[in-house]
Amino acid sequence: MLTPLETVKKKRAEAINRIVGKGYLSTKRVYVGMATCEIAAGSKDVMEVFQTAIKNGLTDVYLSQKGCAGRCNLEPTVEVIEEGLVPVKYGRVTRDMAHQIIERHLKKGEIIEEWVIR
Amino acid sequence: MKKIKITINDKPYEVDDGQTIMQAADKLGFRIPRLCYHPKLSIEGACRVCIVQVEGMRNYVASCAYPVSGGMKIQTNTEEIRQARRDIVELILDNHPEDCHTCERDGVCELQRLAHLTGMRHRHFEGEKKHYDKDLSSSSVVRDPNKCVLCGRCVRLCSEVQNVFALGHAHRGFRTVVVPAYNMPFKDSVCTACGQCINVCPTAAFVEKNFTQELYPKMGDTSLIKIAQVAPSVRAAIGEAFGLEPGRTMELQTVAALRRLGFDYVFDTQFSADLTIMEEASEFLERLQGKGKLPMITSCSSAWMKCVEQFHPDFLENISTCKSPMSMMGAIIRTYFAEKIKKRPEDIVSVAVMCCTAKKYEAARPELMVNGLPGVDMVITTREIAWMIKSAGIDFVNIKGENFDEPLGLSSGAGAIFGTTGGVMEAALRTAYELYTGETLMDIEIQDIRGLKGVKVGKVVMDGKEIRVAVAHGLGNASKLLDEVRRDPNKYHFIEIMGCPGGCVGGGGQPYAGSNSIPLDEECLKKRAEALYGLDRSKTIRRSHQNPDIQRIYKEFLGRPLSATAHRILHTHYQAKKPCGIIPRELQVR
Amino acid sequence: MSRKYSITICDGPTCLHKKSKELESAIEQCLKEHALTDKVRINLSGCLGMCGKGPILIVKPGYTIYGSVTLGDVAEIIEKHIIKKKPVARLAIEEDHLYNRFFRIFGDVNFFGKQLRIVLRNCGIIDPESIDDYLSVRGYEALAYVLTQMKPLDVVEEVKKSGLRGRGGAGFPTGIKWQLTAREKNSEKFVICNADEGDPGAFMDRSTIEGDPHSVIEGMCVGGYAVGAQKGFIYIRAEYPLAIKRLEKAIADAKAEGFLGDKIMGSDFSFDIEIRLGAGAFVCGEETALIHSIEGHRGMPRPRPPYPSVQGVFNKPTLINNVETWANIPVIILDGAEWFKSIGTEKSKGTKVFALAGKIKNTGLIEVPMGITLRSIIYDIGGGIPNNKKFKALQTGGPSGGCLSEEYLDTKIDYESLAKVGSIMGSGGMIVLDEDTCMVNIAKFFLEFTENESCGKCAPCREGTKRMLEILTRITEGKGEEGDINKLQRLGKLIQKASLCGLGQSAPNPVLSTLKNFRSEYEEHIKEKKCRAKVCSTLLGYEISEKCIGCTACKKVCPTGAIAGIQKSLHVIDQSKCIRCGACFEACKFNAIKRI
Repeated sequence: MLTPLETVKKKRAEAINRIVGKGYLSTKRVYVGMATCEIAAGSKDVMEVFQTAIKNGLTDVYLSQKGCAGRCNLEPTVEVIEEGLVPVKYGRVTRDMAHQIIERHLKKGEIIEEWVIR
Repeated sequence: MKKIKITINDKPYEVDDGQTIMQAADKLGFRIPRLCYHPKLSIEGACRVCIVQVEGMRNYVASCAYPVSGGMKIQTNTEEIRQARRDIVELILDNHPEDCHTCERDGVCELQRLAHLTGMRHRHFEGEKKHYDKDLSSSSVVRDPNKCVLCGRCVRLCSEVQNVFALGHAHRGFRTVVVPAYNMPFKDSVCTACGQCINVCPTAAFVEKNFTQELYPKMGDTSLIKIAQVAPSVRAAIGEAFGLEPGRTMELQTVAALRRLGFDYVFDTQFSADLTIMEEASEFLERLQGKGKLPMITSCSSAWMKCVEQFHPDFLENISTCKSPMSMMGAIIRTYFAEKIKKRPEDIVSVAVMCCTAKKYEAARPELMVNGLPGVDMVITTREIAWMIKSAGIDFVNIKGENFDEPLGLSSGAGAIFGTTGGVMEAALRTAYELYTGETLMDIEIQDIRGLKGVKVGKVVMDGKEIRVAVAHGLGNASKLLDEVRRDPNKYHFIEIMGCPGGCVGGGGQPYAGSNSIPLDEECLKKRAEALYGLDRSKTIRRSHQNPDIQRIYKEFLGRPLSATAHRILHTHYQAKKPCGIIPRELQVR
Repeated sequence: MSRKYSITICDGPTCLHKKSKELESAIEQCLKEHALTDKVRINLSGCLGMCGKGPILIVKPGYTIYGSVTLGDVAEIIEKHIIKKKPVARLAIEEDHLYNRFFRIFGDVNFFGKQLRIVLRNCGIIDPESIDDYLSVRGYEALAYVLTQMKPLDVVEEVKKSGLRGRGGAGFPTGIKWQLTAREKNSEKFVICNADEGDPGAFMDRSTIEGDPHSVIEGMCVGGYAVGAQKGFIYIRAEYPLAIKRLEKAIADAKAEGFLGDKIMGSDFSFDIEIRLGAGAFVCGEETALIHSIEGHRGMPRPRPPYPSVQGVFNKPTLINNVETWANIPVIILDGAEWFKSIGTEKSKGTKVFALAGKIKNTGLIEVPMGITLRSIIYDIGGGIPNNKKFKALQTGGPSGGCLSEEYLDTKIDYESLAKVGSIMGSGGMIVLDEDTCMVNIAKFFLEFTENESCGKCAPCREGTKRMLEILTRITEGKGEEGDINKLQRLGKLIQKASLCGLGQSAPNPVLSTLKNFRSEYEEHIKEKKCRAKVCSTLLGYEISEKCIGCTACKKVCPTGAIAGIQKSLHVIDQSKCIRCGACFEACKFNAIKRI
């Protein structure tokens, strides 16, 4: 019988497999803040834009929700993470900005500097 | 018990471990001022009046709640703690109506005493006061939240001792108020009218519904015959309202004073207690022979009757159908006695002087009417009658005693002990034994069911048959006893239940605790009970069935116990009531 | 500007001591020489919790941590790592602490760089509704570890050793609390997570639960194992629907995966968690009131002792900790008490989460190591005061806390230091006030809250806060009297020292601390009937200046006819008729009306 520690390590490996199975290893990972505060600031709209884009054929992108990182006055926040690059954090993202992040950053690799949180 | 060393006000003392600072200080003769504390109730720690300083503690410590420990250095009377205590009492007073001279409790108010004690001579923080309407809906208890100091004694008593849960805190902060559930009128709540909230209230936030002002015009009406009856425990306690020690029997003085107040006849509820025993003992023997449910449970206590109808309807068939002694007397006055003096029943004012607030509720119960009239027109508590006597300028303490009127004034010793827990059972067994066996019961004082233990059990052997009895006083103890019966329905044959702690001597209408005593003090209850046992011992007739006037009333009017006439006017029925309040979720004492 | 590289330099006290400042200029110089200034961003971070190996550099991408870096190493790091893309193995240190995952993503942002995330380690980086995400960041490993390797008392010892103190406000040593509960001999015990976050403006617990619910659950499981409890309650306010939803899902997922329930992961330990909703009474954050509320009674505190560790919920020994405290537990187990206690000050270890709000540029939720100064929080993390206003005060600890003036800004964050200057750590509210804030009014605001939320049980709090509020209201309305300050102090001290529970004992703090630090403002209100911040409306006067062009707009709106003047000439306010409603001030389009 497995010890609890062995059990949890096995479960962790399985969990990572499942996450990878959901496309974690895509080139770009997008995280949208979805805590109460972020939702109040409009993050559901932003999330929907990304979800629709993926449904409509945006590929090589892993989309996930996340909790609140703590930048209240800059919510909703969206992170675009690409291995080998410094993670990019966008603040006060609107529906329209989300569209542009998809078109310019996710599709063309352009970092939209003026929206980046520093 | 382990001994520990402490210092109080810089002097060393050795005290028992495992007690609170207040308990230790009390035993050493330091009576730290207090308000919300009550020895019978759980520790609330709400008023903060009993604060003391303890070396090494940042804040003041509520002495009622904090345990002593070895080496503790306590200060009870420094300049700082005196000011803090005074300020707390001022804060309480600042939110209290300043109407002492028109208040019912003027002179017998714990808050008044506390203000005096803490040296309240100026006000610093006065401001807005709370405003609530008085709740006059109950037939027994008036609730005045304006006078409430939120000590929570009533809430704790109603839940912890009585298990009724009629009262609770509502709202927050400055708007906190003690109310029945949903702030409904008191009369629609689960309140059983026992009046114990009045007894423990330090102020006049709870007082009895006062009938004295309604009584005066009737007393002045010469066309009416004014009749008073006096409950056993009134005579055992009324002296306290005149500054006498608890336990002084003031029987004959009470009769004399009532005559001075203008009553035409003064009868003794102890007589109708004897009558109750005749009916109840006979009913018990019938049930014992298979006619009716066992255990039989007594029905003398009005608060208990409301309680059983609300919370224990599964026991309704067990309840004796006998009316209470007060209502039996009322019924006899309207029938037998009215006929005897050749007066119309409606021309009689029937006043009951009782130790009880719930009797006010009972007197208004429609099922107790006799020929369309209530047996008792008005119930006056011990406190109210004491005030009337004082108000009339009667020198109660020195008045020459007088005897009760015939033919409803002669009683046996059994009738006297009705006023204390276990008394009804003892009286009933004295008669039941002799009716059942035809022999004389030699040992008529049944010690097992005397005293202040919450639930008492005893047994008598009648013709080789063992009769198991149980006695409970206080509705919380009653709930416990009934739970026991629910588990084992055959455990007892006969049960006595009284709604108030100590029985009627501890009734909700008894005099307020004096300045050096606490409400519901057990020593005081014991002394009142002892006064009644003394009355019993002083009588030559100690068994109800031997009372010659009882024998006469059966001969002249009732026929025999449980006759059709007796049933018509001396018995009643009960029905389950669905209280509008919350039925207590747990019938266990917290 | 390409954002391919960033170099983070640890700016914590230890690293500074080990000459990290000199490193910064060396790196700048070196980048300049290689013409890389535009390509590599340099950040300064707060303490990274690796003081023993300082000074620390972190180079991204790759998130390579370099320890004990000397000036001589700088050129090598830049040439090899940045130019040749080959990390310098000689200097790299392997660190897989739970906390630095967050830093890996957010560490280059100034706001986050100064922080140290232990409690909020996963908030903002994992999907809170996915137990897989939590498992991937070593979730439930701490629980598995204690079940496999540690006896319950070892766990208690480890927590004791870590120096963790209760994050609910009072700062009672957590390990001692655990020990007191563990030593009770009772077959039935409970643990409680206090998530009844009630301070106005505080949202630390909500964010923690919404961002990382499993960390709280795991902490409670470990606690349950350590003290011998079989059941946990999470008492959370009903106003937090999303947090409740996520907790419910997390509990269900944890049960499905066998981290909650009977015989957890094949061990002998069984533990379950139930959520209880609070109706929003502030006092239910007090532990004994919370316990009453869980039991179904009115939430009112009771005197202690007996403490919950002896007699808690349903009269059983109960361990009750706050959300933030629980979330620390898995980290202490996995990264070790030794590491945990290396962070912070002598008596306050680890980090503290604050909700930073008020007149500050960067509002938000922050987690900082104990020992950081208030000034660093306000200016480095918070970015200072907006609109060129002057800093006036910092309110910490919510309605139970106090207001600190400028002179206290170099106070280090820990329980004792804050208490010493008249405030408290509290559960973590931090409100910055600028010169436009009236301190009397602020004190009144907080007292209004506690007066309203007092449970009504004990006399000093119930009656005393009401009287204090009446006096404060009087002062802000220009009806203050000689002696009012003394009365406030007398009442305040009484309420502090005589109240039944912590809520009452701390209720006067906002008033007493402003009296101490801003007494002159009170005196101005009382004696001169003046509010220098121009907040207390009844104390304001209005005056028409030379800018008036005589448009008559003010005259038209004045409800009492206090303004006289004909068209195109200077208007005048008759001060005896003016009721100070401010209508003229609003109506004037030429800034000609001044508040005086």
